[in-house]
Amino acid sequence: MPALNRLPATRIVATPSALDAAAWPANILALRIASDEVLVTPPAPEIKLNDPHAIFEPDSGFADVWLAADEALKFLERECEWELPAERPAFAQGMVAGIAAKLWLESDRVLIIVPAPFVADFEERMT
Amino acid sequence: MRLIFDGKPIEFNAGDTVLAALLKAGIHPAGGGPLCCGGDCPHCLATIGGASYARTCQTPARPGMIVERHPANGYPPLPTNNLPGPEVSTRHLHCDVIVIGQGRSGRAAAEEAKQAGKRVVTLDEKEGQEALGIYEGPLVIARTSQGMWHVHAREVIVATGAAEIQPVAPGNQLAGIFTARATETLAAAGVNLGRVVAIGEPPRGVEAENVQGQIVRFEGEKKVEAVVVRGPDGNEKRFACDSVSVGLGLNPRDTLLRMGNGLNVRAVGEAAREPDLPICPTSGTVCSCSGVTVEDLDRVWNSGFREMELIKRATLAGTGTCQGGMCTPYLRSFIKARGGELQPAFTARPVTRQPTLAEAAAGAHHRPTPRTALDAEHRRLGAYMDRVGGWWRPWNYGNVLEEYWAVREAVSIGDVSTLGKMLVSGPDALKLLEHLYPTKVSTIGPGRSRYVLILDERGYVFDDGLICNEGDGRYYLTFTSGGSSFAEMWVRDWADALKLDARLMYQTMSLGAINVTGPLSRELLSRAGFTTPLNYMQHTKAEVGGVACRVLRLSFTGEQSYELHHPADQSAALWRRLLELGADLGIKPHGIETLLKLRLEKGHVIVGQDTDFDTTARRIDMEWALKLDKGDFVGRQAVLRTNKELLDKQLAGLEMDGPAPLEGAVIWRGDEYAGYVTSSAYSPVLGKAVMLGWVKLFDGELPAQVVIEGRPARRAAVPFYDKESNRARA
Repeated sequence: MPALNRLPATRIVATPSALDAAAWPANILALRIASDEVLVTPPAPEIKLNDPHAIFEPDSGFADVWLAADEALKFLERECEWELPAERPAFAQGMVAGIAAKLWLESDRVLIIVPAPFVADFEERMT
Repeated sequence: MRLIFDGKPIEFNAGDTVLAALLKAGIHPAGGGPLCCGGDCPHCLATIGGASYARTCQTPARPGMIVERHPANGYPPLPTNNLPGPEVSTRHLHCDVIVIGQGRSGRAAAEEAKQAGKRVVTLDEKEGQEALGIYEGPLVIARTSQGMWHVHAREVIVATGAAEIQPVAPGNQLAGIFTARATETLAAAGVNLGRVVAIGEPPRGVEAENVQGQIVRFEGEKKVEAVVVRGPDGNEKRFACDSVSVGLGLNPRDTLLRMGNGLNVRAVGEAAREPDLPICPTSGTVCSCSGVTVEDLDRVWNSGFREMELIKRATLAGTGTCQGGMCTPYLRSFIKARGGELQPAFTARPVTRQPTLAEAAAGAHHRPTPRTALDAEHRRLGAYMDRVGGWWRPWNYGNVLEEYWAVREAVSIGDVSTLGKMLVSGPDALKLLEHLYPTKVSTIGPGRSRYVLILDERGYVFDDGLICNEGDGRYYLTFTSGGSSFAEMWVRDWADALKLDARLMYQTMSLGAINVTGPLSRELLSRAGFTTPLNYMQHTKAEVGGVACRVLRLSFTGEQSYELHHPADQSAALWRRLLELGADLGIKPHGIETLLKLRLEKGHVIVGQDTDFDTTARRIDMEWALKLDKGDFVGRQAVLRTNKELLDKQLAGLEMDGPAPLEGAVIWRGDEYAGYVTSSAYSPVLGKAVMLGWVKLFDGELPAQVVIEGRPARRAAVPFYDKESNRARA
């Protein structure tokens, strides 16, 4: 299994309606990790939002790894108790190998994101 | 081919089960008891390859296999070697329907579900797939030849067939008693059964003397030699034999169904049949798993236990390995014979097959322990790492005194990345914080910070930290390392409950934090490019060592201190830069052990160590942190109410000569219990032991003199060190 590396990102907290209405650039991955929060990678601090109180912060608190779909699904079949969404692309969150994880599932590859402090445990559980 | 049974080689033929091999050698694996060959009863259990409770009737014999008999009394011993067994893999499968059992009705149920377009998983014991238990979900745990399967299904169909009812009569613990199906199976496997007497439904294809009637008793020493039967005419007759085949009827193999009470689980085929009701026995063992006899049933019946579930608990019948698979027909017939209502079988509990520890642990993980971005730096410096506050943290770097004096006399850095951190903004940010905190948040000016307690609704202290006003209605909060997850939920819950318009960003894992502390800390920071004058409890944003930081001036150690909060990916670079710049200043990193000593000299409380679940601000002598004249805040009403009560105990400072007592040591006033020590350390700078501890008030007063670990101790005012806090505020 390849190693996880810190994920350069921007975290944005704003009203759900502002995030719903936002136009996300095509060259970024904007993951809606909560109704009021988006994790954007690569970092994109210039996103325009209709919320004057929105919080934009550079974030390096997560680590990620891309895996080929078959490798990822084999791992997830072993370590993920919940059912993955069937459609692609899809974003899902939940415990994987006992650690809170975020999954971005594409047809041929999967992005796994975990909080950086848990990388050592996660990597150990991936092998 | 041979297997080894209790140290002796036993010959077997290809295709033999372990049971068949043993019986051919004249050995009953458990010493005696009726055998079913269906995996239902506990009478063929043995330890195979180190795994206890293995069903010898279901286990193919293999050359060199080590088989051990379970002890006649008590449990099989746990393995005592320290060698970890092979890890067992797990697969999580998701489906609409799982069908357990692939006999005729199981195959039909699976086909029907597939035709309806459902995703189906099947389990077939013949393929080495055993369902061990059904759990909430429903979740079916199965043992397979490919490891453990955890099947998450919307519906569970149990198609496990029916088991034969075993005989209950005196002597049923003898060897040589078989159910009719077992008789057929063993005869086909080449086991010499000798003269067979068949009671009830006879076995097919086996020569036997067929007898109808009720079994009165089995006779013999260790092996059955005769069976006495009461015929339809009421007369008893003795039949000499080598084996007895018993065909008393069928009971649905419904243990899994009974495990799924309240879940979407149903049975089909024989597993859904009405159970046959055997004649109520007058004597004998009803439940072999728990050794429950008819006499035991009578005793609890006469004591007033007359429901299945109560009889189960009063006698432990049905609580063993087969979970009532064997005894429920007799429990039901017993209750009916005593005049009770015919009752359904009781709920079964996982498991139906005993997994090894490795199988039970398959797919399970220990709670993970997070590491700060500086973890590798600490290990590189030779730190002894330990779990503190839920994180891996450096306990010390090998020389606690060196670390200590670096803080007190020079400069030191410590990793405080584990502190809880949160940004709050929005139109109602101030309103939210005023409600959450017992301090007047509105009086914290921009660029200022304040130490705060956090109370729950009962007025008890559950955390502490800082509120930093960043200006423009934005606040930065810190919490304790151990309490940050709860604190985050607490803030969010209140924001939601009060319907306040606030933005909350949890940053505990996103930001690293390094504490620069000691009289030379300002010198170190100026070398790192930070020259902004910063008064005590002020904060600002600035570059330090080339890293964008939020710099907070505060003090937990009692010395001049600056916390540098920064992006976690910059932690290692900043840490190394500070060590490099402070080399000629005598810089040393300090670990948690040193930090605990330093803060104790200042009398600083650690929530969770010095506090308990009923700790009020008054009890820890920190009422100054509560502003009861402000508006309502969480815990205020409780504080007002409890303040009317007499103070019964208080967290107090204590000191004594000599070495520090253990934390947790009892505090005595004479021979009266007076409390216990919560924090304790020998203070190098003061030359004595200093402590915090919970001390009872006697006649409204804290005792001035107490005894701890048999030595005199004195109550002392805190802080013990630098009472005017001149060093921290320098």
